[in-house]
Amino acid sequence: MTALAVALASAAALAWQILLVRLFAIEQFHHFAYMAVGVAMLGYGASGTLVALLRPRRATWVASWFAGAAALTAVTLAAVPVAVGRLSVDPTQLAWQPSQWARLGLVYALLAVPFAAAALVTLLALVREPARTGRLYGASFVGAGLGAAAALAGLALAPPPRALAVPVLLAAAGAVCGAWTLANRRARLGVAVVGAAVAVVVLTRPVWRLDVLPYKGLPQALALPQAERVADQASPTGWLVAVRAPALRFAPGLSLAYRGPFPTQTGLFVDGDAIGAATTWDDSTVSLLDWLPAGLPYALGSRHRVLVLAAGGGMDLPAALAHGAHEVTAVELHGAVAALATPRWLEARAGVHVRWVTGDVRSAAAGMAATHDLVTLAPTGAPGHAAAGIHALDEDFDHTVDAYARFLRLLAPGGVFAVTTWLSLPPRGEVRAVLTVAAALRRLNPAAAARGMLVVRSWGTVTVLAKPEGFTAADLAAIEAWTAERWFDVDWRPGLERPATRFNVLEPPAVFEAAHAAATSAAAADAFADAYPLRVAPATDARPYPHHALGLGALARFIGPDRGALLPFAEWGVIALVATLAQCLVLAAVFVLLPVAVRGPPPGPGSFGVLLAYFGAIGLGYLAAELAAIQQLTLLLGHPVYAASAVLTVLLVSSGLGAAWSDRLDWRPTALAFTLAAGLTLVALALLGVLHAMQGFPLALRALGATLLLAPLGVAMGMPFPLGLRALAGGDRPRVAWAWAINGFASVVAAPLAALVGLELGSPRVFALAALAYGVAGLAVPAARRGPRATGTAIV
Amino acid sequence: MLRQTAMLVLTLVAAGGPLVAQAGRDDAAQRARRQAMVDVIVRAGVRDTTTLGAMLRVPRHEFVPADVRDLAYGDHPLPIGHGQTISQPYIVAFMTEVLGARPGLKVLEVGTGSGYQAAVLAAIGCDVYTMEIFEVLATEAAARLRLLGYDGVRVRHGDGHHGWPEAAPFDAVIVTAAAGYVPPKLLEQLKPGGRMVIPVGSVYGVQNLILVEKDPRGRMTTRNLLPVRFVPMLEGLR
Repeated sequence: MTALAVALASAAALAWQILLVRLFAIEQFHHFAYMAVGVAMLGYGASGTLVALLRPRRATWVASWFAGAAALTAVTLAAVPVAVGRLSVDPTQLAWQPSQWARLGLVYALLAVPFAAAALVTLLALVREPARTGRLYGASFVGAGLGAAAALAGLALAPPPRALAVPVLLAAAGAVCGAWTLANRRARLGVAVVGAAVAVVVLTRPVWRLDVLPYKGLPQALALPQAERVADQASPTGWLVAVRAPALRFAPGLSLAYRGPFPTQTGLFVDGDAIGAATTWDDSTVSLLDWLPAGLPYALGSRHRVLVLAAGGGMDLPAALAHGAHEVTAVELHGAVAALATPRWLEARAGVHVRWVTGDVRSAAAGMAATHDLVTLAPTGAPGHAAAGIHALDEDFDHTVDAYARFLRLLAPGGVFAVTTWLSLPPRGEVRAVLTVAAALRRLNPAAAARGMLVVRSWGTVTVLAKPEGFTAADLAAIEAWTAERWFDVDWRPGLERPATRFNVLEPPAVFEAAHAAATSAAAADAFADAYPLRVAPATDARPYPHHALGLGALARFIGPDRGALLPFAEWGVIALVATLAQCLVLAAVFVLLPVAVRGPPPGPGSFGVLLAYFGAIGLGYLAAELAAIQQLTLLLGHPVYAASAVLTVLLVSSGLGAAWSDRLDWRPTALAFTLAAGLTLVALALLGVLHAMQGFPLALRALGATLLLAPLGVAMGMPFPLGLRALAGGDRPRVAWAWAINGFASVVAAPLAALVGLELGSPRVFALAALAYGVAGLAVPAARRGPRATGTAIV
Repeated sequence: MLRQTAMLVLTLVAAGGPLVAQAGRDDAAQRARRQAMVDVIVRAGVRDTTTLGAMLRVPRHEFVPADVRDLAYGDHPLPIGHGQTISQPYIVAFMTEVLGARPGLKVLEVGTGSGYQAAVLAAIGCDVYTMEIFEVLATEAAARLRLLGYDGVRVRHGDGHHGWPEAAPFDAVIVTAAAGYVPPKLLEQLKPGGRMVIPVGSVYGVQNLILVEKDPRGRMTTRNLLPVRFVPMLEGLR
């Protein structure tokens, strides 16, 4: 029953974490969600500090605390969301309103309580039954893995506020199990009643009221006169809402020369952010589409077979249909978006066939043949979002050199690849797109970049066309005529020696200079990227951050007196990540080092430094490996939610099995840590190649492949903690508590740290960091030290 | 030098310009904060004395909700309710300067918000027409502008996509709610030789300022404005 209570409490905590991130991402922004939940998870470590300082001596106290912590987990999981909902935090005002920080601090503290309570359940179980360390720790892992799966199941079945009932129910069940371990029957009954009451409350009314920040696209649209919500659908990959309002219009980069009418449109929003619109078809639609950058590729002549990537909500699919394409394949991740965005009347027209592929762009492209006359990729998000760094932290495997090279290979002879980005000031996303297209062309043919690239800029967008065979004189003449009529500029065409801007002045002419360098040679392109004031070198699958342009060194200027003037450069995702790391480091030091300094280190075998180094290193190593696996498997599984659920479930459950197995082993922690370091080094070197080889498989096979890759790693990574606990703490309660606290804090600090390493150096280096951490853990423990093999009987 | 420029502005303002019926509302402390705000704007590169004079006269604190009034003169945007914001003072000043605002200039503003930008233009002596799609904001801004003495500002509740055809053509247009396209009607209602300023993007993320100029033949050219200011700063941003 103890192991079951531990598993349920851990399941509840992880499910709650996943759902909180989703809820905050919808209500606020993704990076705020990361910061708020990331810092609150310090509650895990704080539980260890609490037990280490209070040092419960009697077995009955430990038993009571255990049952109480299980009940507290259930109660706080239900109560904290209600309290947090009453605190109004506006993250957009954090930079200049100190009162917002006080509210945010209170949110951190409140959110940390359920994490601390759930962690306390596992820790007290370990303290209570040290002989079953591996099994209890394993139960925690397995529970957490199943909690991740339960959260996703909840998101699939209900909107996120309702899905919050899942962790509460799990915790309530855990509370009942915890109560069952008590000798006192009245106490047992009391806790069971509390657990059941909490379950009834959350089933009858949601504990969270969705309150989306008013500056996000969805509330703005809903506030428009005569706005009407016409679709509302929640799924694990996002909350889709469609809004119809007369004042809603979407025409990205529309020519200033356009004087025609506008069609009726329905705005599409995922997690509260605008992603595009579904356009009603009439004569005005066709008229408009020829004056958008999306119409540019058709200036080169008819394109019969067109592949539209990330099609939902963009104008590329309507443009293909309006320009006479006969056969269109549209790839879209969100099935509901596809259903809303399809212009059905045109589908019914004789000779026109639209095929929707629901799934991620890379996997879809991996399974296609080279038969397309045109492949298009539309801009991401709303104007300003890319430049604002809203997506700076997002892995985006659609805009890497590897991706563009794959898209180019889907072209039939004479085919063209087109990618459009929003213009950012100073230019960065568009400069990177130019360099990336050139690098991809060069992969196909070293001479292709010089004659096969063309760049057109409107007042607000940049479109790069790539034709591996090279553009002909007739092609160039057609493009010149089309763009001149629309007051667009040809920023680059083969052979151009100086900027030829006529309509849209860009000073300095960064797009021309990038294209000129990129067309000259790979070395010139590299030199240009190195000399550019912002990061614009092409992204790769190993480091898939095409929306990240600001070096970390610049962040210090955002806390200086000129921060208002620097707002346009801010990458809020990165700033939140650094802020999270800084806050976690400070709080971890306060909760670990300060109590040790005040009360002195715990007595026992080995110094406190050994505990700190070993349990800190394995906490860091585990989280770094987990994060790197999520980053890389996003490529394989097509969406971070799928990758996170696969990694969390498989890795945690297999780690749990490994931990439970460790009870039967008398391995040395040192040998295991070095083995893990070697294994993770191998993963760092080989994983990406393996994933590329599996890219074209059906999703079920890719998921199976991911499981087979992760499970052995998970089994091994589940062992160092229980083996280390036996070797370094034995049954000593304060040492167990300190080991738990150190491991908990290191895990929480490791999350933003590993994310920063991934952002700056790439996912393989994050695996390398994990390998290094396990190596340090191996060195920290005296080589001969090993713990007694578990006997299966309780010491307390 | 910067301090001297700011003092010059203060002297110019003290010498004259339209005064606002704001006695009792605008105490010495607020004026001192406004001066500090203008100093920041000058340091950021705005040099047009007409614009700076107007920024120094318009009581920005009257255009923000009471709970953020203390922050009114900081160089950052602020919420004004209903999910809308008042722009960063530097952006207001920069757009006003770029527009070439002068007494008698006929200006259409799309996106009234709190009315602050309209008040700055009115303080310069422009003939201001301003549109707001949210009725409550339009009503509040009209009342506020009247109360503060900017009686000449015409406020209309409506969709800026259609412009203000009865009052067209305009010498200048400011669009403060661009969403990936520029409404064709606004371009039609711009006089040949006129200027339009569009800040594209999210107010807390990025303000890509674009200047559209209409030549005598009606052809448009655009200029991306902010890189000019940002280029010297880029060295420190790597």
